[in-house]
Amino acid sequence: MEKLLNEISTCCQPAYDISCDINIEINIPSNLQRCSSLHFPNITESDLLRHFTNLSRNNYALSTTFYPLGSCTMKHNPLISEQVARHYRFNQIHPYQDELTIQGNLEIMYKLEQDLCAISGMDYFTLQPAAGAHGELTGLLIIAKYFETIKQKRTTVIIPDSAHGTNPSSAMLAGFNVITLDSTHDGQINIDKLKQLLNENVAAIMLTVPNTLGVFEKNILTITELAHNNGTIMYYDGANLNAIVGIIKPGDLGFDIMHINLHKTFAAPHGGGGPGSGPVGVKKFLEPFLPIPRIINNKTHFVFNYEKHQSIGKIKAFFGNFPVILKSYVYIKLLGAEGLINSTKQAVLNANYMLAKLRDNIDVPGGHKCLHEFVLSLKSILKNGVKTVDVAKRLLDYGYYAPTIYFPLIVEESIMMEPTETESKQTLDKFIEIFKIIIFKEMLDESDKIKCAPHTTIVRRLDEVIAARNPVLRW
Amino acid sequence: MDYTSKNKTEQNDMLKTIGINCIKDLFVNIPRNLVLNKLNICHGNTEQEILTHLHNVAKKNKILISFRGAGIYDHYIPALVKEIVNRSEFRTSYTPYQAEASQGTLQAIFEYQSLICALTDLDVSNASLYDGATAVVEAILMSIRYKKTKKILISEALNPEYIKVIITYFKHLEVDLIFLETTNGIIDNNTLLNKLDDNTTAVVIQSPNYFGLIENMKSLCYWTKKFNSLFIAVVNPLSLGVFCTPGEYNADIAVGENQGLGSPMSFGGTTCGFIVTKKSLAWRLPGRIVGQTKDIKGERGFVLTMQSREQHIRRVNATSNICTNASLNALASCVFLSGWGSKGFKKLAEVNIAKAKYTFKQIKSLNGFSSKFGDQTFFNEFVIKTTKDINKINKILLYNNILGPLNLSNANANAKLKNCMLFCVTEQRTKSEIDSLIEILKTI
Repeated sequence: MEKLLNEISTCCQPAYDISCDINIEINIPSNLQRCSSLHFPNITESDLLRHFTNLSRNNYALSTTFYPLGSCTMKHNPLISEQVARHYRFNQIHPYQDELTIQGNLEIMYKLEQDLCAISGMDYFTLQPAAGAHGELTGLLIIAKYFETIKQKRTTVIIPDSAHGTNPSSAMLAGFNVITLDSTHDGQINIDKLKQLLNENVAAIMLTVPNTLGVFEKNILTITELAHNNGTIMYYDGANLNAIVGIIKPGDLGFDIMHINLHKTFAAPHGGGGPGSGPVGVKKFLEPFLPIPRIINNKTHFVFNYEKHQSIGKIKAFFGNFPVILKSYVYIKLLGAEGLINSTKQAVLNANYMLAKLRDNIDVPGGHKCLHEFVLSLKSILKNGVKTVDVAKRLLDYGYYAPTIYFPLIVEESIMMEPTETESKQTLDKFIEIFKIIIFKEMLDESDKIKCAPHTTIVRRLDEVIAARNPVLRW
Repeated sequence: MDYTSKNKTEQNDMLKTIGINCIKDLFVNIPRNLVLNKLNICHGNTEQEILTHLHNVAKKNKILISFRGAGIYDHYIPALVKEIVNRSEFRTSYTPYQAEASQGTLQAIFEYQSLICALTDLDVSNASLYDGATAVVEAILMSIRYKKTKKILISEALNPEYIKVIITYFKHLEVDLIFLETTNGIIDNNTLLNKLDDNTTAVVIQSPNYFGLIENMKSLCYWTKKFNSLFIAVVNPLSLGVFCTPGEYNADIAVGENQGLGSPMSFGGTTCGFIVTKKSLAWRLPGRIVGQTKDIKGERGFVLTMQSREQHIRRVNATSNICTNASLNALASCVFLSGWGSKGFKKLAEVNIAKAKYTFKQIKSLNGFSSKFGDQTFFNEFVIKTTKDINKINKILLYNNILGPLNLSNANANAKLKNCMLFCVTEQRTKSEIDSLIEILKTI
């Protein structure tokens, strides 16, 4: 295990230095001065390079291994996007430069908004939200503002129990009450229950399509019709948009508003937990409420428009996570229509292929067909005290990152796999072979080996209970 | 371009295994009449074509010598920061759900938390928040959950972008947002005392504030505590090499923007917010926290911890809705903070002050230019009042490839800042760049 920075600190010359070509006496009044000593480490550039390089090697990453983390869409990130995003003419730009000096950035943003409209069937997009959950909040604030404007008091949002946890917590933050809608056993929306819940208080229904079991909502048109007849807004959680890009548009299904996780569907690297980008798209009637500023094409050049009196305001400082926006723009331009459609098809093919190889021996609550991902329940096959988490840890020994486990919450001992389109058949075959060895062989013959896995990682199984009971959060 | 890998034979094998004849059959559950015939997106491009296109687009952006800040700053980024952040092992991994296979990211965040604590003299930090503006929002949310009241006093000298975001977030939550007026650019004790009462949830003060001025945080915090309210300090982390820390003046929560710590300006995003607090408030923190633990052999390791605060477990009762945040930018900040040493970091802050002060002295001695707020202490930004036309000044500067000061004339509804402009000078500006700025201003 790599030492900590404070443990490798010495009295050496630190890595960075600064000079000053101006001599000025700095007199800071004593009551404003820092009196405490600053305990920063002293480490040379060479040692710091080793330290952080060694740390990086303690990560499994998409660039080193198959990363079938369900719901997170760990597809290959084209390298050319990185190269473009590092261009100084994109990243050495101050947000308050005159519009005429940032036409490149504005063009990229304007055109990406248009591409997202074409893909989603929405009429307008804002690129301001910084991540998917931030997009959810933005969308919900837009919905709240809409009802305020038409003078309807609607205080609740319906969210299925299979949804990501961000949905209810975003709704709460936007000032709504959340009603949880129980799913049917195969993860579909229970239409009868939905009918019971719909009343004049319901502002919106938030749906993830395909749902978190990777299955398309078969009654979707009925659901959107029911909602609209009730004056309720349909919110599309774009977490799984990658399953339907180029095949069908959320806008055509009757959704009024949605967010897209650019980093997932349009392949910007996930950065160990961000940055992401969560653009929000709306149908025309919700456009007045989008965050400011909007980007306008006034024929000769692009300009900002802050004059939107019904706008919810700003959701983030400045205009959005531009490098992520740029990478997604590049991705769409690289693939084009045919590449985007093929990616969707191959992602769905890969997921169904894996599912086909596993479905005969393992419970699949969502049924034997899926879209881009699927969820298995290991409950009926777990033996000798082995749990799903143990199976996940054992996969690490074979060099794979583990699929998502224990989500969605509606499936017991769930394991959720999303291979994405950029994995080869060989990769999938090998992974399935290993997975089967673990659950059908090792679980019977060597269950202890699974229960104390992983064995080959830089650290062995870590104790999360100790960490939470007696938190050590800094050196 | 297409990044998928299968040939026809493989594809047919796979379809056979699935038990279908063609790819179309994979989408049978989708309403047939709505399936698209055509996707209205251009044809794909090769890497080379993309590069040519993007270079042409990039040319439409102008790179300028920046004397503008107001929340986003042109600071030097050491080569090591770029080297590490570009490592694909960091860049292409995700939220460290599988701790044993994510020790790189987890330990880096633990180091980051430690460095932020050392910098601010507070106890508990985490990685990370989207940006400085949403970091302030999260701090206010924490205070509301802790105090169970909803009255927030906010300095009007808080960055206006942040104020706008705060208003967006709290409009629907029936939170009483009361703005404190500045006196000569800073918050006066009496102004605060006039508004403070036992119902006050928290007081939000930025220092250096929007005008670059250093607030008297010690006394503002002291009075806030007299009313048992929480004190939320919004600070520029670089300034803490020199100025009094949130821990020293006993702030409850400190937040801010990390862009100056190793992230490029990037048009104002991607940046990264930081938050740090006292031990007693640790369980109220939003988002991911990394903690140290042991593996089954007793070896040290790191995990995501205190997760019962979070949306994936708590859902509607979570401390925030944050999931994906700005981890890679927090890593940049970690590498940035690791390499200066204590003395070097202090010197970095001093160079900012020295260069800004030099520029300030030169400008205010020019005809038609004066200091708006006298000789108060500032970090790397200051406000100048002028008799000249600010738009014209900036036009002329732009002609000389200089991004001039921000025009503040309309920044305050009461016209308090008429004919005022906000300059920023970081360690990036050389003496000769500053001198050319002065020469141009002389001629206007």
